Amino acid sequence: MRWVLFLALFFLPALGQAEPPPDLSPEVFRIARELRCPVCQGESAAESNSGVAVEMRRIIAEMLQEGKTEEEIKAFFVDRYGEWILYSPPRRGVTLWAWVLPGVALFLLAWGLFAYFRPRKVPKELLEEAERRLKEPPA
Amino acid sequence: MTPALLGNLGVSLALAFSLLGLALALLAYFQGDGRFLKGAKSLLLPTFLAALAAFLALEWALLTHDFSLAYVAKNHSVKDPLWVTLVTPWAALEGSILLWGLLQTLYTLLAGRRALDPWRASWVLAVLFGVQVFFFGVMATIASPFETLPNPPQDGVGPNPLLQNHWMMAVHPVLMYLGFVGLSVPYAYAVAAMVTRRYQTWVEETRWWTLIAWGFLTAGKVAGMWWSYEVLGWGGYWAWDPVENASFIPWLLATAFLHTALVQQTRGAFKAWNFAFVTLAFAATVLGTFLTRSGVIQSVHAFAEGPVGPAFLGFFLLATLLGLALLSRVSREVRDTAFFHPFSREGALLLGAFFFAGWALVVVLGTFYPLLVEAFAGAKVSVGAPFFNQLSAPLGAGILLLMGVGPLLPWRRPRAEALRNLYLLLGVLALGTLLGLARGYTVGASLAVGLFLYNVAAILLLVREGVLGRVRAGLSPWGFLENRRRVGSLVVHFAVALMGLGIAFSQTYRLESEKTLYRGESWEVAGLRLTFQGVRVLDEGRRFAVEARVQTDRFGEVGPRLHFYPQMNSPLPAPKVVYTPGNDYYFLLMDFDREKGEWASLRLIVTPLVFWMWVAGGLMALGTLYILWPQARREEAKGVSPA
Repeated sequence: MRWVLFLALFFLPALGQAEPPPDLSPEVFRIARELRCPVCQGESAAESNSGVAVEMRRIIAEMLQEGKTEEEIKAFFVDRYGEWILYSPPRRGVTLWAWVLPGVALFLLAWGLFAYFRPRKVPKELLEEAERRLKEPPA
Repeated sequence: MTPALLGNLGVSLALAFSLLGLALALLAYFQGDGRFLKGAKSLLLPTFLAALAAFLALEWALLTHDFSLAYVAKNHSVKDPLWVTLVTPWAALEGSILLWGLLQTLYTLLAGRRALDPWRASWVLAVLFGVQVFFFGVMATIASPFETLPNPPQDGVGPNPLLQNHWMMAVHPVLMYLGFVGLSVPYAYAVAAMVTRRYQTWVEETRWWTLIAWGFLTAGKVAGMWWSYEVLGWGGYWAWDPVENASFIPWLLATAFLHTALVQQTRGAFKAWNFAFVTLAFAATVLGTFLTRSGVIQSVHAFAEGPVGPAFLGFFLLATLLGLALLSRVSREVRDTAFFHPFSREGALLLGAFFFAGWALVVVLGTFYPLLVEAFAGAKVSVGAPFFNQLSAPLGAGILLLMGVGPLLPWRRPRAEALRNLYLLLGVLALGTLLGLARGYTVGASLAVGLFLYNVAAILLLVREGVLGRVRAGLSPWGFLENRRRVGSLVVHFAVALMGLGIAFSQTYRLESEKTLYRGESWEVAGLRLTFQGVRVLDEGRRFAVEARVQTDRFGEVGPRLHFYPQMNSPLPAPKVVYTPGNDYYFLLMDFDREKGEWASLRLIVTPLVFWMWVAGGLMALGTLYILWPQARREEAKGVSPA
């Protein structure tokens, strides 16, 4: 059994395997998708297979079984890791601007487009100039 | 001759030729002397050949396991299968810059063959040679693919296992680079037009190039989505990862340009916007590389980090500033003064440009927000998928809405017939949405059904209009198919509507569940009954595979796997996907009993309509190809109306 040896050598120390993982309902994944995996390169706690993310899913499953709501579960992780753990930045404080800025930017863009494409009157001087030239005999 | 020697020679020659070409092209413009231009053109082929030699040198080094090259030692192993070895040049930073440089010389060669007046030709070549100077300069200094090691190892570890886990890796990066590099040609044309103050003809001349780049970019993105779906093992195709965003931004801007270019071709308006969109689309491709390769932003794509960040940032600023400074210089001359009726084709295209540019802006803001907050406030914040999804849904819906009605509106002002069509379409939209709601879908999903039917109806109306017009004129109705630009764009529009439907349903109704099963135990989930029958172990040389034998009642036995690579300390899941037109069933092996194989932890992800997203991706490529097919341009030249 070469592979058993192989696995034992390379992976068992890294993973550790006390018992089979718990069952996870779709609700667990729905909540985990909103939370960042703290040690990963931009993956959510639902996607990642790092130890921390696996642990987070287990905690979410347990808290759901205890009857905790989604808000309570998220608050628990915010207590632990700070608001940085939330993938959807809260709409207050420094992250309020993340929500406000796109709106402001879209408004400015729309306003800019409108101002740019607004039909403009030809300046009076130019019209008068043209009229004068029409009346004058050609030089 | 060794690979290192040939490679360094190729890079140095390509750099020297590009510098010389840049100098000659600028001389040709400022001296007004055609001989310099001829000289610059004669350098196109040698530059390409030098770059090709360098690229082949890298392939040679990989195929002969020449571990004296640092790149080979870091990214190659003698155990790699042949196809992995062949695609290893773009598995890491230095090699992918080399591929980029090679493709750039190819585009420059092809673009340089086009006949242009000498003034603009000089600038087109100057810009393209300048871009090449940057890439080969980077390769000659800070990121050389041909750096040698004093003590070469006997064997390397091979490329990142994520990259060798799927054949898509051979395709996706090349398509992406062909798209990125392709956008440099429209940029060069735009710069030339602004310098020489000839604002009209360049749009027609670069439409073909932009469409080529856009087609590759689209194909590259869909291929990347599919790769992510099949390989990363999370059952999704889009995560709003900074690198995905970085390539989405040039795609949005190039799409905006393809549409506003139509207005300039037909009505001579939107000149300034076209210059801006082309400049920003090209700059965004460089910015994307900066994001991926500099390590400033956390990303799952950071396969290939290196010291090139500041260089790419500088090049991005240079390209943007050149384009925008030229635009501000000529802004008074390219301003539009005409009034646009909102219910006209150009009105819809202007609004569409607003949606595309606005979307690009939102993605830029969301991507850079955490970086800015950390830099200025020192706080760490996350802006992720939930944020982007909430802001993208209305923008995407707005685009789908415009896409249906826009092509039916006549130029200048609405006709009674167009308004009748509009009411009909809005009726279909309302009916489709109500149908969705009646079937119990969410508001968003129902609206997606409505928008899909609305777009299908719009396409049918357009086909009817085109065919009837031919019949009335006594022509064969099949002649409609020869109007390649119209037919191709209809195919692409249909594909976009289909993609929208797929995205809405797959995002709304994804079901993900995980359960540990003991041998012989069954699991009823999502209308499926699966039974775990044990695990099987395979020694595949470069990796070990553990496969769960799962019997299902509908698809027979499926075998999701875990792959164990010696260079990784945790296993990579290799999902088994059963594609069906309704739902995709995505099986993952998460963990298993390492002692006796008595239990396995299985995850099942059921996602509706994903199948149609790949169909839509294929249709987008086919539609683009149909427009680009050479005959189309002959037809237009003969005077058949292109629109």
